[in-house]
Amino acid sequence: MKSKTLQITLIYTIISIIMAVICHKLLTTYFSSSEYPYFSLIKDIVFILITVLVFSFILSKNEKRNITIFEKLNKTNEEIKESNEKYDIVAKATSDTIWDWKIQEDSINWNKGIEGVFGYDPKEVGKTSKWWFDKIHPEDSIRMSIKLYSFIEQKTEKWQDQYRFRCADGSYKYVLDRGFLLKDENGRAIRMIGAIQDITKQKEEEQRLKLLETVITQSKDSILITEANSSERKIPKIVYVNPAFSQMSGYQSNEIIGKSPNIFKGPKSDSDELKKLLSAIKNEEECLIETISYTKSKEEYWVRFSMIPIFSNEGLISHWISIQRDITDEKKLETEKEHLIRELTQNNKDLKQFSYITSHNLRAPLSNLIGLLNLMEDIPIENEELQEIVAGFTKSTHLLNETINDLVKVIIIKDNPSMQKEEVSLKEVFENVFSQLSFQIELHKPIIKLKFDKVPELITNKAYIESILLNLLTNSIKYKSENRKLKISITAEQIEQRTILTFKDNGIGIDLERNRDKIFGLYQRFHNYPDSKGLGLYLVKSQVETMGGTISIDSEVNKGTTFTITFKN
Amino acid sequence: MIMLEQILCIDDDPITLMLCKKVISKSSFSHEVITAQNGEEALHHFNVLKYTNDKAKKRPELIFLDLNMPIMGGWEFLDHFTSSDYIEFNTVPVIVLSSTIDPEDLAKAKKYPIIIDFLSKPITQPMLEYLKKKIDL
Repeated sequence: MKSKTLQITLIYTIISIIMAVICHKLLTTYFSSSEYPYFSLIKDIVFILITVLVFSFILSKNEKRNITIFEKLNKTNEEIKESNEKYDIVAKATSDTIWDWKIQEDSINWNKGIEGVFGYDPKEVGKTSKWWFDKIHPEDSIRMSIKLYSFIEQKTEKWQDQYRFRCADGSYKYVLDRGFLLKDENGRAIRMIGAIQDITKQKEEEQRLKLLETVITQSKDSILITEANSSERKIPKIVYVNPAFSQMSGYQSNEIIGKSPNIFKGPKSDSDELKKLLSAIKNEEECLIETISYTKSKEEYWVRFSMIPIFSNEGLISHWISIQRDITDEKKLETEKEHLIRELTQNNKDLKQFSYITSHNLRAPLSNLIGLLNLMEDIPIENEELQEIVAGFTKSTHLLNETINDLVKVIIIKDNPSMQKEEVSLKEVFENVFSQLSFQIELHKPIIKLKFDKVPELITNKAYIESILLNLLTNSIKYKSENRKLKISITAEQIEQRTILTFKDNGIGIDLERNRDKIFGLYQRFHNYPDSKGLGLYLVKSQVETMGGTISIDSEVNKGTTFTITFKN
Repeated sequence: MIMLEQILCIDDDPITLMLCKKVISKSSFSHEVITAQNGEEALHHFNVLKYTNDKAKKRPELIFLDLNMPIMGGWEFLDHFTSSDYIEFNTVPVIVLSSTIDPEDLAKAKKYPIIIDFLSKPITQPMLEYLKKKIDL
């Protein structure tokens, strides 16, 4: 612009000087000196007019051009402004963090995302690429920088990478960084602009899904997924099977995907169960079935499987998930168990019958003996020796009878695990027991303390509780100490949901250190008493347990014995 | 207290039968005790009674019945005896006298209204005293 102005000025000066010289020559040559001032004035006026015309032409032309330039400039400015606004909006809308890296100067600028997404105060954000690389997770940073620089060297335009970027609070976020490279006319990389996207959630979701997937792939249960073309009322096609399924069925996944699960069906498959399955498919309901299935090599196996319908957000069925388990061993065990139970039940029944017959056959002649002895009582015997023999005979017969009667009681208790229970008054039970033992009580006059006020009544079997107390009381009297008066205390208490009967005496006691394991055993005797049969406590324990209770003993030699009977209410 | 005219004891064991006879006569329970060794023999006795026109011939007023017997046991005897064939005797009460401990026998006995009691051997005088009261009632 300056040179042009100088040019115009120079040309004008030269032309003006030339014109001034020429006019002067012409005036001096053709006109007299008197006329000269007159023509000189005209010449000056003409010259001024021409100059004015030329100037006005140039100025007007310049002005036009300036306006155009100004308008152009304005327009460009507007465009830049708009473009900047758009950039800001886009940067906000994408929620990406945008960076602008001038590679030559190594200066990098970040948009507001570095604050919003990663929590950095604008003041702490560094201005060089080093700050950027420093924030990348140590496990990712080498890989990432190698990839980035090799990309810059190759000078292709687009670049993207995933890495972990450290936030202001020290935690890491998974990011997807995408960049665009700008080059100068020589093809040198001068600038790179990128956008960092926070993909932590996607990554976490990805990892969660991966974890969930391992459940399916690693599961010992077989999993099969089918599509759900329930509208056609056919068995839907398989879309997925897990490795456990392949192992169970012998089919590799590529061999059965797209096929119908009908291929597992065979002659021994349970048709009722399959009908159940079809109806569940028709009604889009969950179901659980057990049937015999067939492997690829047509081997049978028992399978228990559930079918669970999967619905889309719109509530339409999309798939069926079937979780299956090979229960062949289980079934085998079950059959064996059933067989064993049947056998045991039969054995038990036979044994029971045997015990009834045996006891009948023992009792029949014994009852004859007793009957005959009863008859003999009325016949006087003269011979003293014979009298003695008959007395011994009578005693032995009665002892045998008692033993057999006790054994019969045991058999009956063992045979009737469930017996009738009723409301029983403990006081009444004791009155009955005392009346049966009135002879012994009168003879030994024990001090008996009863404390039933807390549990006056008990839901139990009357005959059993009477038998239990009769046995315990008989034992107390039988095994009383000769050195002191017999004291018996019987209490009933209610503790939470339990009724506790305590039966305590001050008799000769039992050496528990030696006998604890045998105390409630059959035919166990702990004292050398002629009429002890070793059945009483066994019977007591059987009766307590038949009524759902427990019995325990505490005893000290020469101090006494305490029995604690507990019934759950 | 009345004394029965005739009772029938059905048992395969001669000692039981002997005991029955002796204890019954001692307790003045019945004038006469007749016996049968099993159910079949007892039915035969009733058949004879049925087809003889001798109205004067005594009929048992009570039966003591054992359960386990050869040829025909107690239950089989009862099934015949309670059928329409012996309808004219169905007012004769039966007392089971056995050594059984099988609860099933007890349960079964409840199904026969003709059985008025279920007693355990041996037969004793107190037992007969008790029965006398029971029958009089």
